[in-house]
Amino acid sequence: MRVPLRWLAEWIALPDEAELLARLTQGGLEVEEVLRVGPDLSGVRVGHVLTCDKHPQADRLSLCRVDLGEAEPASIVCGAPNVAAGQKVAVASPGARLPDGRKLQKAKIRGVTSHGMICSAAELGLAEQADGILVLDAAAPVGAPLDSVLAVGERVVDLTLTPNRGDCASLLGVAREVRAHFGGDIEIPPTEAPEQGPSAAADLRVEIADPAGCRRYVARLVRGVRIGPSPGWLQQRLEAAGMRPVDVVVDVTNLVMLEFGQPLHAFDAGTLRGGVVRVRRALPGEKLTTLDGETRTLEPDDLLIADAERAIALAGVMGGAETQVTERTRDVLLESAHFDATRVRRTARRLGLHSEASYRFERQIDAAGVRRACDRAARLLSELTDASVTPGVLEATGDEADAEPVIALDPERVNRLLGTALSRAEIAALLARVEVRVADALASPLRCRVPSWRNDLRHAEDLVEEVARIHGFDEIPATLPRQRLAPVVVARSRRVSEAARDALAAAGLFECMTLPFARPADLDRMGLTADDVRRRLVRLQNPLTEDEGALRTFLLPSLLDVIQANRARQVERIRIFEVGRTFHPRAEGELPDERLALAAAITQGGERLWDMRAPVFFELKGALEQVLEAVGVTAEFVPGGGEPFWHPTSSAHIDVAGRPVGTLGELHPEVAVRFEIDVPCALLSLDLDELAAAKAAAHRFEEPSRQPQVRRDLAVLLPRDAAAGRVLHAIRSTAGPHLVEAAVFDHYEGPGIPEGRVSVAFRLVFQRPDRTLTDAEVTRASERVVAMLADRFRGELRHGGGVAGG
Amino acid sequence: MSAEQQSLDGLEEEARRALAEVTTLPALADVRARFLGKKSALSGVLRGIGRLEGADRARVGEQANLVKERIEALVSARRDELGRGERERALSETRLDVTLPGLRAPRGGLHPITRIERDVVAFFTGLGFGVEEGPEVETQWHNFEALNMPPDHPARDMQATFFVDGGHVLRTHTSPVQIRTMSGRTPPFRFIAPGRVYRCDRSPRHSPMFHQVECFMVDENVSFADLKGILYAFQRHMMGADVELRFRSSYFPFTEPSAELDYRCLICRGAGCATCSQSGWIEAGGCGMIHPVVLEHCGIDPERWQGFAFGMTLDRAAMLRWGIPNIHLLFDGDVRVLEQI
Repeated sequence: MRVPLRWLAEWIALPDEAELLARLTQGGLEVEEVLRVGPDLSGVRVGHVLTCDKHPQADRLSLCRVDLGEAEPASIVCGAPNVAAGQKVAVASPGARLPDGRKLQKAKIRGVTSHGMICSAAELGLAEQADGILVLDAAAPVGAPLDSVLAVGERVVDLTLTPNRGDCASLLGVAREVRAHFGGDIEIPPTEAPEQGPSAAADLRVEIADPAGCRRYVARLVRGVRIGPSPGWLQQRLEAAGMRPVDVVVDVTNLVMLEFGQPLHAFDAGTLRGGVVRVRRALPGEKLTTLDGETRTLEPDDLLIADAERAIALAGVMGGAETQVTERTRDVLLESAHFDATRVRRTARRLGLHSEASYRFERQIDAAGVRRACDRAARLLSELTDASVTPGVLEATGDEADAEPVIALDPERVNRLLGTALSRAEIAALLARVEVRVADALASPLRCRVPSWRNDLRHAEDLVEEVARIHGFDEIPATLPRQRLAPVVVARSRRVSEAARDALAAAGLFECMTLPFARPADLDRMGLTADDVRRRLVRLQNPLTEDEGALRTFLLPSLLDVIQANRARQVERIRIFEVGRTFHPRAEGELPDERLALAAAITQGGERLWDMRAPVFFELKGALEQVLEAVGVTAEFVPGGGEPFWHPTSSAHIDVAGRPVGTLGELHPEVAVRFEIDVPCALLSLDLDELAAAKAAAHRFEEPSRQPQVRRDLAVLLPRDAAAGRVLHAIRSTAGPHLVEAAVFDHYEGPGIPEGRVSVAFRLVFQRPDRTLTDAEVTRASERVVAMLADRFRGELRHGGGVAGG
Repeated sequence: MSAEQQSLDGLEEEARRALAEVTTLPALADVRARFLGKKSALSGVLRGIGRLEGADRARVGEQANLVKERIEALVSARRDELGRGERERALSETRLDVTLPGLRAPRGGLHPITRIERDVVAFFTGLGFGVEEGPEVETQWHNFEALNMPPDHPARDMQATFFVDGGHVLRTHTSPVQIRTMSGRTPPFRFIAPGRVYRCDRSPRHSPMFHQVECFMVDENVSFADLKGILYAFQRHMMGADVELRFRSSYFPFTEPSAELDYRCLICRGAGCATCSQSGWIEAGGCGMIHPVVLEHCGIDPERWQGFAFGMTLDRAAMLRWGIPNIHLLFDGDVRVLEQI
């Protein structure tokens, strides 16, 4: 709602602007911005003509010395006949911009330098033409900006209205709000229409056939309207309020809507058939060509204005083309009505026809103001076009709601909700400021009568809000609640996801967040088979773009996009992860299954001095191991990720306690190409809900042994496809109770190693808690391991089969 | 002088000479073995003592042991010398270019939204608020109706909504978690609900996905004054002791009374700047007393119980904290951005 401040000041005396804006905002009418409309005179100043002499080289020019409040008077050449010493004038100095956009410069006029210009009303954009310079009031302060002494232009406050305050979509409503905050009296513009001629009722009647849709319908017939542009002041008002002037009839209806918040419609009375205007439901398939030239097919839910033969307007939304006011119109039927908010809203939304009128109807208008607005418009038409207002108001009523409902309000409840200690009298006085009347401030509960325009006040709590709003939220004390203690329970899935985030950040990965939308094309790029369950998507009905038409079923494509984008930005070292939900359709009508997922990626590249050069897969696996450790579970990595997007022989699935929780692997080279990823990278996909469901292993403390350790290193030739992890597992279960550590410390294939074999070096550490191990004990254990390796893995010791000690 | 004695005297001198020629520790070990090892002459003498007669036995034994001690001392002294020499050589040979870069473990980090969310969660769990999450795809009942936004309510225009299959929506706010949490519970209780929310809107200032935290508390007497007290403490926790707050009347269908919470712009201190759109204030969130209709929808008697709710957007808080100028930078995974957080 754009409110020109000078216009508002005609309704109610305004306080200081800054205070006004602050109170309106805090009271719930948020000031979005303050605009200025009209000529910008901020560069023009008040000058005092000290002397005025003839120009030495030109008879018709004067040379003036003008005081602008600066150290030295400015000498200015002036061509106007009416300039004289002692006048206060408007001076544009060099550098100032005139309303027409011209920028003023120092100029030599007939050999004399002029430091500025004394302006006429025309040059200032204040008049069409002018005979001479504009002479200001003698009291105008020298040097002041012109717009501070001259009522030019207009400051317009743009208010953002919340949906409950439709009553403030008018000058009257904002004036009431000003009065609530600052007091004062509201001056309502005259509305009585001077009536002339025969009664309208002889030619026309109005009816409401849909009483639920229309509470009140009022019409006035105005005869002999001369259609043409409206006067300048009216046009300027509309423009200042952000509306476009059309013709005098439309402009008057818009002006009255801005004044009272009541949308009006004008029909060309000469086009109406059958002498009746009826409010009714649309018939199935009924059509109406609206003002914008579109032919609309209507639905029975649409509220319609019709004459005896056909639809003539969509109530509260848009008028019909056949009955609109044109240049040939003589007689105008002015409609002012209260239409049902929901019905108007549905129709406006279905047809995409949102207007100033529908905006107000959707928020409910003041049923008590319907007649007044109609009178006001009729009066203005008669004033502005010499039309005559036909005596009598055509009027019909539908279902009457309680115009001024009474709400019971317990003062205790006010204080209990707000935490205040207001007396009954204070509460009544605060409510009185928004014209909620309390008949008896001693009665309990307070019986509060709500004014007709405040249809947002229906519950006791609504009145509590009015008390708080007018009292000021700042006046309410700030206290801390007293409450019984209760333990805080945080779901395990949340604790697991937080632990996973911390572990990955500690492992050197950055957390990123991406939008959860899925591109169906990505499913193909990932190589998913036609029957892959991840192709079953939850689809959006109104996506912003085609690429965002569904919700993702896994996170990896998002992460691949991030990798690609970072590569495109020449980032070399990409170590990222994301935690987010994935969405999986369930039975019809049910909400989708949402699972908390984690994905991580590390790309090769960007290594610096001395960095390890193990395949990037192992860096990622190490990060995952840190996650599992943080969560407190142990996992088994089973070769083969079993996913079309993994490198088939460089991927694994991850089992925790026999349940699959995810997969990791190097990206399949074909998929990498499809995602335009040009570096080797390893990715991980984890179902955090599964992980959270796995039982954390009990952690038991073991006292470190004081006995010496004995180390045995075994370099073993194994077939290339023997999984070191399984070999290690077998070693652990073979080496006996005194094995305290077993690890792979080298892995090598290449020159010196027979084809199809790989050399894996294991380090075994033995220790007893109670005594020193004997050489024989350790050797026996090692030999058991060597025999097992030969037997189960076709493993053979390298370097002549020695069991190295150390 | 017996043969043994002569050989013993010579032995010490011989060892002294041999040790003087030794230049490395392994060579020293060899020399030591030659003079003191099991097969050395000295060991032979000592082994032979048992065969000598009374007085000789005592004398030779004493002498042999004396020589052994002396040679041991010589070896030890030589070992010290050699060791020192080797350490000195190592000292002069080893040299690091200490200006080469340090070998760092790769640094990672949490997303700015995660970090802000944790700040918020830490504050409220410290006050005994539980943490709840709800689904991101919601029923219209939970997202709208139960929150006092029936179909055709103008307030639905305030929230551009994504609709998904089955008539459900991507939740437009975290308030539906209120409904899910309160339904079937008996007050008193207090919870926060952090999570992702969605609006069908993409513009320079708006992302279709962003993050909110909902905070709510229900008891018999919890009041707007309590809400103010909690929010003052909360904003001081987030932004420091000198934060200045303003409550401004507003409208949310699910609270009554409702207010917007603003804080004085920390950049311009209220003078007006680009960060606060020249207003001097920055919106921190919406709040109010839970609407009785909402409590009724959750099976809670509004005559007996009352409570407050507060909701804030995390994304804007993160942008302000780290000076991130554009919300879209939060969600495109640019490592160069994430590294700076």
